[in-house]
Amino acid sequence: MSAEKKPKKSSSRLKMQLVDFWNEFKQIKFGIIGIIFLVIAILVTIFESFLIPFPEASTRWRDITYWEDNPRNAPPAWINWFSKKDYTPTTYIDDINFEENIMSPTMTLMTSVIEYDYRYDVPPIDLIYRGRYKGSFTLNIVLERPDGNVLNLVNKNFSSPSWKDFRVAIGTEAKNPVQSFAKKYQNSSVQSVKVNNVLFAQANETILSNPQPLKGTYKFKVNIIKTSADTIIEEPKLVLSGAVSGILGTDNAKRDIWSGLIAGTKWALFIGLLTSAISVTVGVIYGVVSAYYGGIVDSVMQRIWEIFANIPLLPVLIVLAAIFKPSIWSLIIMMCLFFWVGPVKTVRSMALQIKEETYVEAAKALGASHARIIFKHMVPILIPYSFASMALNVPSAILYEASVSLLGLGDATIVTWGQILHDAMNGGAVTNGLWWWVVPPGIAIALIGMTFAFIGFAMDTILNPKLRTR
Amino acid sequence: MGIIIYVIIIFIYSFLFNTVMEETLNGQIIEQVNGEMLKMSQVGTDPQYLLEYRERRIRELRDLYHLDDPLLSRVFWRAIDTLTFNYGKSTIMRSFKGETDVIKIVVERIPNTLILFTTSIILDILLGVWLGIKKAQKAGGIMDKTTSIATMAVYGLPSWWFGMVMIMLFAFSIPIFPSGGLSSVPPPETFFAKFVDLLYHMALPVITLVFIGFWGRAYLTRNIVLGNLQEDFIMSARARGLPERSVLYGHALRTSAPPILTMSLLSLLGSFSGALIFEGIFSWPGMGNLYWAAVQQNDIPVLLGNLSITTLIYIAGIVVLDLIYGFLDPRIKVGGKA
Repeated sequence: MSAEKKPKKSSSRLKMQLVDFWNEFKQIKFGIIGIIFLVIAILVTIFESFLIPFPEASTRWRDITYWEDNPRNAPPAWINWFSKKDYTPTTYIDDINFEENIMSPTMTLMTSVIEYDYRYDVPPIDLIYRGRYKGSFTLNIVLERPDGNVLNLVNKNFSSPSWKDFRVAIGTEAKNPVQSFAKKYQNSSVQSVKVNNVLFAQANETILSNPQPLKGTYKFKVNIIKTSADTIIEEPKLVLSGAVSGILGTDNAKRDIWSGLIAGTKWALFIGLLTSAISVTVGVIYGVVSAYYGGIVDSVMQRIWEIFANIPLLPVLIVLAAIFKPSIWSLIIMMCLFFWVGPVKTVRSMALQIKEETYVEAAKALGASHARIIFKHMVPILIPYSFASMALNVPSAILYEASVSLLGLGDATIVTWGQILHDAMNGGAVTNGLWWWVVPPGIAIALIGMTFAFIGFAMDTILNPKLRTR
Repeated sequence: MGIIIYVIIIFIYSFLFNTVMEETLNGQIIEQVNGEMLKMSQVGTDPQYLLEYRERRIRELRDLYHLDDPLLSRVFWRAIDTLTFNYGKSTIMRSFKGETDVIKIVVERIPNTLILFTTSIILDILLGVWLGIKKAQKAGGIMDKTTSIATMAVYGLPSWWFGMVMIMLFAFSIPIFPSGGLSSVPPPETFFAKFVDLLYHMALPVITLVFIGFWGRAYLTRNIVLGNLQEDFIMSARARGLPERSVLYGHALRTSAPPILTMSLLSLLGSFSGALIFEGIFSWPGMGNLYWAAVQQNDIPVLLGNLSITTLIYIAGIVVLDLIYGFLDPRIKVGGKA
């Protein structure tokens, strides 16, 4: 993997060794697949903001206002390909052009017509008209349906001296006109009228009890009357918050799961790579030092190692996290504290062999310092092994973070896959069968785990020639 | 040796969690004294005396728990308490019978955890070793390759996530298994029906655990057996014209058995702590579920007591493993090394 990326300043022997290693690595198919996956994951991290519809997902994951236009618990949009009924996907219409009519020095009428081609069976959950404004204005939205019926949906005044967001949810604002419209066709005692079901339904006597979809072009006429000269309206847009939404649907806090998943990739890579890099480095050096000095140093170091190796990792991490409420950094440090034990035993036995090699003896005879022998002559031999060990450590680091997060003990300022799963557990995703909320984060964890397992096992195969198939 | 390590670890815990534990203790003392005062004031005791009593009583109790000693001595007493299984009282949680002693809360859950894990360990080893031998037999064959890829695919798979998916599939979408718990509500009467009910509730978690686990076991077995198959004695056995079956099971597997067994048990010990999360998903009333509940209710004494017991079981497992190892493979004497 990183064979070429290593600093080139070390001895040419090391360089050759790594080049050889890389050449051998290239021959193992699943190793290459692992590398490809890793490259994809890194690309996803780099191009994160281009891949997700909500670029601030990472920083505003717990900010409910950022997500308020999305539907709740909506399945992904692509289920339309498999289901008999077509569900309206969430759509953002934001290229809205206004025609301005100056009526008097203080009053300006702005009109725009938003055309929406409705060709689905299940209507959207809500319609939201929103934007930013300063000053004061009156908003009026009129809907012209394909069958010619015209409904006056919203009349509302806004006024604020400073910049403010305005947000009109037609589902709640337009209850009365829609109700009276529906009552014209079906006299029903049903009190709560589902606005969007009626808006997008055929006008007949079953409009309330069994609404049939009315397909065609819906025209939303938005009339804005600015009632003061300094009124400015920016970023107006119409959001159809659909019955299905996005690539992977939404959760019960209306968050887009795809965005969360992609935003979580970088944290998974970060946590996994950093933890395994630090802990394996420490472990390898620890093992080499222990083997090199031998004697009393060795036995003391081995005793210390034994103590750490005997601590059950996950429970301790859980308790530590429960008591100290860690940030992502302290969580990584905690994991490193216990992860370094992994490679020590193997490294020590390998180093014991290397120690007896003639070139180490020669170096000693030449009067090289202990540090020089350890870092120049012994550690480099172990670098391929260290990489394999690092690669195999990454999945467990990610897994531990996910487990701690699953208990709700993760860092609350970021979004990780474990946290998405924690929310899914608490949000009843399992009992309600919201698979799009449960399955993808787990698959993501498994995929990253698989990537590093591929790489690690491939290196393992090179390092242990015995395992090769006959 | 295991005991020494346990003692040292407990000291480390006591040091790490000293502050939190003391805060909890302090809160409990004040609560207790306030309760006593309330009783006394109902009888109509002199308020001046009451205040005095409160002061004295708090001092007494703080003395009892060594709360006013210097730091090292406090840590020492905390560790001694933990080592003697004197974990104190829980703050919120109760045992199934309603007791507040942490040790009782923890201990009553140990059998549940053991039942679940021993069952899956046994199935796991049987399946894994069988598949591993099959893989080693035809190393490089289609079966070997596909199962190796499956091994790597499940390598990073969180068992608890798989549990969630299994519950979603087999308890809600296709309701053939219960979604969790140890027994039906109300539990059946007869012993036999109880047993069947337990098996029924265990089925889904065990299937999930085994499904996640046995790939790794198979891969390990394959590597060990394959390594042994290249040894000289196998060649000599083959040269003598022994049937392949006897070479494989009689010679290769026999020499592979000790490392396979110990490695399996070791990794299962490792997964034991990992699978604690797993219990929470299946609301299996074991020790893992206790962590879950204790974290949610922020019950520090239970959390720490549970941690100490888990550590004890874990270390005991490692020690037993060493004994088994020495027993199976007399060449290696690791007895003194815990």
